[in-house]
Amino acid sequence: MSLATRLLIIVVIQTLVLAGMIAKRQWTLATGTPVVLETQPIDPRSLFRGDYVIFNYDISRLNLTELDGDDEFERHDSIYVVLEPGDPYWRARAVYREPPPGQLALRGRVQYAGEQWWNPETQTSEEVRHVRVRYGIEDYFVPEGEGRVLERPVQGEVISLRVAVDRFGNGAIQALLINGVERYRETLF
Amino acid sequence: MSFKKQLQQRLPHWVEQGWVSADNAAHILSDAAAGERHGPRYLALAFSLLGVILIGSGIITFFAANWAAMPKLLKLGVLFSALWGSYVLAGVCERRNLPLLATAFLLLGVILFGSNIMLIAQIYHISAHYPDGVLVWALGGILTGWLLRSQPALVAGLGLGVLWTGLESQGFGREVHWPFLPFLALALWPVMQQRWRIALHVALIGLLLWSWFSFLAMSGWGRNDGAELYLVQVYFLAYLALFIGGMLLHGHDGWQSLAHVLQRYAAFAALGCLYLLTFPQLLRHGRVDSGVWWLATLLALLLVVALAAWHYRRSSVGVRPPFLNWGLGLLAAVMVLLLVNLAAERQEASMLALLFNLAYFAGLLWLLQAAVHLENRALVNMAFFFFAITLLARYFDTFWSLMDRSLFFMGGGLLLLGGGYWLERQRRRLTRRISVQREGGP
Repeated sequence: MSLATRLLIIVVIQTLVLAGMIAKRQWTLATGTPVVLETQPIDPRSLFRGDYVIFNYDISRLNLTELDGDDEFERHDSIYVVLEPGDPYWRARAVYREPPPGQLALRGRVQYAGEQWWNPETQTSEEVRHVRVRYGIEDYFVPEGEGRVLERPVQGEVISLRVAVDRFGNGAIQALLINGVERYRETLF
Repeated sequence: MSFKKQLQQRLPHWVEQGWVSADNAAHILSDAAAGERHGPRYLALAFSLLGVILIGSGIITFFAANWAAMPKLLKLGVLFSALWGSYVLAGVCERRNLPLLATAFLLLGVILFGSNIMLIAQIYHISAHYPDGVLVWALGGILTGWLLRSQPALVAGLGLGVLWTGLESQGFGREVHWPFLPFLALALWPVMQQRWRIALHVALIGLLLWSWFSFLAMSGWGRNDGAELYLVQVYFLAYLALFIGGMLLHGHDGWQSLAHVLQRYAAFAALGCLYLLTFPQLLRHGRVDSGVWWLATLLALLLVVALAAWHYRRSSVGVRPPFLNWGLGLLAAVMVLLLVNLAAERQEASMLALLFNLAYFAGLLWLLQAAVHLENRALVNMAFFFFAITLLARYFDTFWSLMDRSLFFMGGGLLLLGGGYWLERQRRRLTRRISVQREGGP
């Protein structure tokens, strides 16, 4: 095999891998069902990658006793969270270990499974079986300097996200909304 | 003036004086010339790599400063053209007979492939299971190293593979990260094909680290179930099998160099395990009532026996050195001891520790003989190192509670000084013998 052929193979494979990352994300954005999720930006950082915001979704912490489906989850388990429309945000209805057929479910990974649940309304710790889930849609990169603005919205500003969920349970952020109005929208180019 | 030029000027005078023969003068000059060829070659490679990394860093810094202002398409254009450009430049340099620069550009290509994975993840807000990104990057490095026969690219791929298994097993709490083994096998294929020593070093360091991560996952440190004792036995046998594999490899012409590297790491891990088994504290540890450890130990034993038998059959054709014969006896004794340890009650820990100590010191003596026969100086150094630390450990075990503290430390100091001097003399004597053997001496 000539040098040029070998170089071409490497270039083609590495390019396909990188293009595949983009294509997979775009496929989810194009074919996924849009759901609006309640969230709170918690931690903007400025590392090598610029500013980004970490979102803490309402469905990031799930009370298993209030949800249908499976109850037994451990750390690092896959979890499928069935979503149902609400007003204005979509809510979790059930959780499963396997993808539930015919239902819109967002796939995540259990970060923590525990019995002690902090109830912010009563400000007390309760004995409730719950899980903390990561969906892969928690990080959102924003232009330099805007992370802090999103972290501390002015009074009355409510931040939410429109997420596309494809039929395999993959999620991708379609748009960041402030008071229901698009602030950032994801495009291919 | 270079060393070679100085020799060229002085040697005729030395020959004239009768201090050096004409033949030897020619040998000295050719050796000096060979040395000069090696010296600047590595220097040139180091400078090429440094230059390419600096250029890459400069480009990345420039674009990072203007990153936010760039549209997505331009960002993608920059990322892909940098990747393609580095490979094109590598090809051009290779064609123009600049192999070191070509190697440097290939390495840049591998680095850019990884940075592109991260930057595309940033552009498209992909925050998936991040060790997967490291795995893809590592595979890119392995592919480049394999297809273009570039050891630096393969070493980069292997290093990233080690990072991947570290992230998976330490950051994500997997039980044992088995996928690392097929990855390592894949990476070892070009290493063995090209007989790359540095890459083999990295691969074996990776294997040792993976073994350690797996040990932490399997042994249940802190859960007090005693699994670590039997796991150490299985690890000992596995690395002993690898060492015998290294001995088999040593028998093939042209493979001695790689065999030495393999023997070094295998011996280090096997001795480390056997060293742990010399401690009664470990042997006294709780007991797991499970057939799993019997099965694992028996399988590992079978592997060792099979490899030892293979080596025995091969070496019987020529003259068998005596150390191989008594080594087989020692191997049989150690195997019996390991099985006895599986079955024994924990009250017998002190007796077992005594037997393991005897086996350990006999093993060190055997290793010294094997090292001389295999002409492996690193094994000699290793055997002396383990001998020294074990001697010190036994001194602590024995005299810490028996002697007055001041006497204990003075005795320890004397042991270190006297023992160190004696060990160093013996080590030098053996390594010198290996050097003489290598140069074709008696």
